[in-house]
Amino acid sequence: MVNQEELRNKAKEVLEREDVRRLIGWKRGTYGFEAAPCVIEKPEEAVNLIFDPTCVQNSASFIVLEEKLPVPRGQEPDTRKIAVMVKGCDSRAIVQHIVEKAYDRDDIVILGIPCTGVLDRRKAEKVFGIIEKPAEASTEGDKVIVKVGNEQKEFERSEILMDKCLRCRHPNPVISDILLGEEVEKWADDDFSDVQEFESKSPKDKWSFWEEQFSKCIRCYACRNVCPMCYCIDCVVTKLRPQWTRRSTDISENTVYHIQRAWHLAGRCIECMECERVCPMNIPIMTLNRKMTLEVKQMFDYEPGLDVEAKPLLASYNPQDPEEYIM
Amino acid sequence: MDEGNPYLPYTVRIEETRYETPGDRCIKTFIVNFTDEKVWETWEHKPGQCAMVGRLGVGESMFCISSSPTEEGYLRFSVMKMGKVTSALHELDAGDFMTVRGPLGNWFPLDEWEGKNIITIGGGIGQAPLRPVINYIRANRDRYGELTVIYGSRTSKDLCFKDELESFMTEDGLKCHLSVDVEEEGWPHFVGFVPTLLMEVAPSPENAIAVTCGPPIMIKFVIQNLEKLGFAPEQIYTTLENRMKCGIGKCGRCNVGHLYVCKDGPVFSYSTLKDIPEAFA
Amino acid sequence: MGEYKFSKENLGKVLEALKDYKVYAPQKKADVVRFQELSDPSEITLEFTNTNVPPKEIMFPQTETLFRFKVGGQDIEPRVPEPTDKMLVFGLRPCDARAYSIVDKLWQWDFIDPYVKNRRESSTIVGFACSEPCANCFCTSLGGGPADEENLDAILFDLGEVFYLKTITEKGDEFVQKCGEALESAGDVERKNAQAQGKEAIEKIRRSIEVEGISEKLPGLFNDAIWKEFSSRCLGCGICTYLCPTCHCFDIQDETEALDGRRARMWDTCMFAEYTLHASGHNPRPTRAERTRNRISHKYSYFPEKFGVVACVGCGRCINFCPVNIDILDILGKVKEA
Repeated sequence: MVNQEELRNKAKEVLEREDVRRLIGWKRGTYGFEAAPCVIEKPEEAVNLIFDPTCVQNSASFIVLEEKLPVPRGQEPDTRKIAVMVKGCDSRAIVQHIVEKAYDRDDIVILGIPCTGVLDRRKAEKVFGIIEKPAEASTEGDKVIVKVGNEQKEFERSEILMDKCLRCRHPNPVISDILLGEEVEKWADDDFSDVQEFESKSPKDKWSFWEEQFSKCIRCYACRNVCPMCYCIDCVVTKLRPQWTRRSTDISENTVYHIQRAWHLAGRCIECMECERVCPMNIPIMTLNRKMTLEVKQMFDYEPGLDVEAKPLLASYNPQDPEEYIM
Repeated sequence: MDEGNPYLPYTVRIEETRYETPGDRCIKTFIVNFTDEKVWETWEHKPGQCAMVGRLGVGESMFCISSSPTEEGYLRFSVMKMGKVTSALHELDAGDFMTVRGPLGNWFPLDEWEGKNIITIGGGIGQAPLRPVINYIRANRDRYGELTVIYGSRTSKDLCFKDELESFMTEDGLKCHLSVDVEEEGWPHFVGFVPTLLMEVAPSPENAIAVTCGPPIMIKFVIQNLEKLGFAPEQIYTTLENRMKCGIGKCGRCNVGHLYVCKDGPVFSYSTLKDIPEAFA
Repeated sequence: MGEYKFSKENLGKVLEALKDYKVYAPQKKADVVRFQELSDPSEITLEFTNTNVPPKEIMFPQTETLFRFKVGGQDIEPRVPEPTDKMLVFGLRPCDARAYSIVDKLWQWDFIDPYVKNRRESSTIVGFACSEPCANCFCTSLGGGPADEENLDAILFDLGEVFYLKTITEKGDEFVQKCGEALESAGDVERKNAQAQGKEAIEKIRRSIEVEGISEKLPGLFNDAIWKEFSSRCLGCGICTYLCPTCHCFDIQDETEALDGRRARMWDTCMFAEYTLHASGHNPRPTRAERTRNRISHKYSYFPEKFGVVACVGCGRCINFCPVNIDILDILGKVKEA
């Protein structure tokens, strides 16, 4: 567990640097089991920063979410750096951003935090209900302790952490300028058994499953907006000239939307699982993305978000690429 | 719209079209008539009102009705080619069909303005909502005081309604002042921005109403200059625009502060707007 | 006007007796409780705090055809929406019913929206009083309550072993008549229990905000830094607006497939950047700061100015579902302090 004082002091130090204009981290939420991401610009605000298992959001998304208005005439754009506090999964998003040239390595200062897992709000609410005060959480060894008001409970990882944490291969940030806390030991591995189990269903069963799930979709686009990899200014799903996907929420358009997104993330999804977490209709979006991740791994032996020197998969050509048909 | 469904448009046949200005964002004027003659029996529009003009299969956009109610038997719209709907409308010519839903919005209070001197200040396509005001006054000339038309655009090619402007320059009972933004060979009139031309003309605020429409930046400076000339906020009128979909105050998107441009507007007096920070944000 | 009771096992009988109506009731399908047309009475669930998607989608469906036409043609059908079958909305919370009445003011402002009007007029609304308000509910701050009877035709209380049903309007009496033998008369015991439950539920509401003064303060905060602060983590998605029972913004789009065309309307959200994007490329609300300011101002300042009532019922869904913990009570608290 990272020392909170050290975290705040380090963040304050970074914000006091002349070449840093803002810092993205987390602060205590107003209720419940999830922290609130925060973007701070003044060093005094660093006193609100926290890091614990409630810090579930992917901080890297907020780098690309920043809206840049045209600079008024006579003014220069502010090109100072952005500092970001990242967990293991978040750091993979930053690597992938750098690979895709969303920004340069020099544009950001990475404060890496070794992560011991984050709470799954849905699992927690089954135990505690929706709570009106913010919860506090910590890990001790392989147990997770959640404190709600005066009540404190201890859990096994699988009972309370997000599913992604139960197969996490990168709890330590894969890239950082400053490491806050000691690196942690990997406690899990990913065998893609969940994808393989789904793959074994018949096409009819697969479609019935997705038909039911996509019919729920209300096209709020939260999954797209929260995704660190979805940062196109004129996104294909909301383009009007030409309009590729209609706005009506029938099964046809909903299916096209989800499949479009899964395809656009092939070879880019870093499995932070934010899409599935934010969905207000509990659609298992990650199942589609995990399938693409597995395919990419098997076909191209490629994993996004690990190597800053790598080339984006679908933007590069290798004569050894498998070509099972056409040629 | 009297069938009980305000989302239902009328079908109109295009009688005549003409291009007002050239270029990528050209302006095309459409003169249209209802396919169902009976619509005229209940249709009543006033200068300043708008209608949703569109094509089935593409969509609708809000345009001001550029003809005065004194021009009988047809409606006129001037459309600038900008996006999806306007490009689709530009593909249409005489003999084709469009849909019109209206009249929508509020209107210039011409009844209250009787006996006053009216000054219209337009820029570019902003002359389109001012045209019905000018023509209404010309058709009811003895009910109004002096009529001054101030109009400018970037170049002489970008001026709308050129044929009418020609006759305005020599018409009795109307003073017309034109300008272009930059020097141009063969241009005999003022060179400069419309707000500057306004200060040159310097109309008196005594018993006067100023109506302005044009690009937001022009409106901002015109209002500033009108106030310098001594016009009170109640004497200044303008029209606002915003993205619209329903046109009847339901879909929510055209709001400027608490005012819906499609319903509380598009005509607003500056005395209303000056308390709405979003109007000039 | 009438008081009845029925045992939990008889819920199915009560619903079966309503064959004349198209009944919309909460059902759990694919892991989510949602108001849907009830084809099998046994599928109803009354074990929920509140549904994710509010029952506004019954009166104002997410996607709705306005009319149809043939591509290239000019005939429009239908010219007026068909009258709707008699509907019964069973089991919605008083806050959601209050939202219906609030947004009605807009649907009937000058031009009457015939699509919503048909459905509202042909609906009987049977509310379901809350016994366990959720942590983020604050309906009492906005003039509502967990057992509020206003805006309902009848109200249902879960008293543990029996349901207590009280009719409030003629429409409520009419629906009760159809239920016939499935209902028994209720007595003092049930009435007292229901009243006690209602009072207790009010005590259980844990969050509140003093709404007085917010409407007047908001215009002055137009350029305040508060909007930038809150929107810095906003994702710009549609969750808060789509799940809000009083949000009513929509888009209208023409859709064509081969030679068939339709003009449809579908929910839209002021939080999307394209919402006010002009064809020229100009956007009067270019960043999320302006859009957040517009959303809060619309609910707490513009709507009350036009229609006399705050366009928020305190259901708490925007707080529960915002993925980045943007909490409207937090924002309103800061507005009050500013």
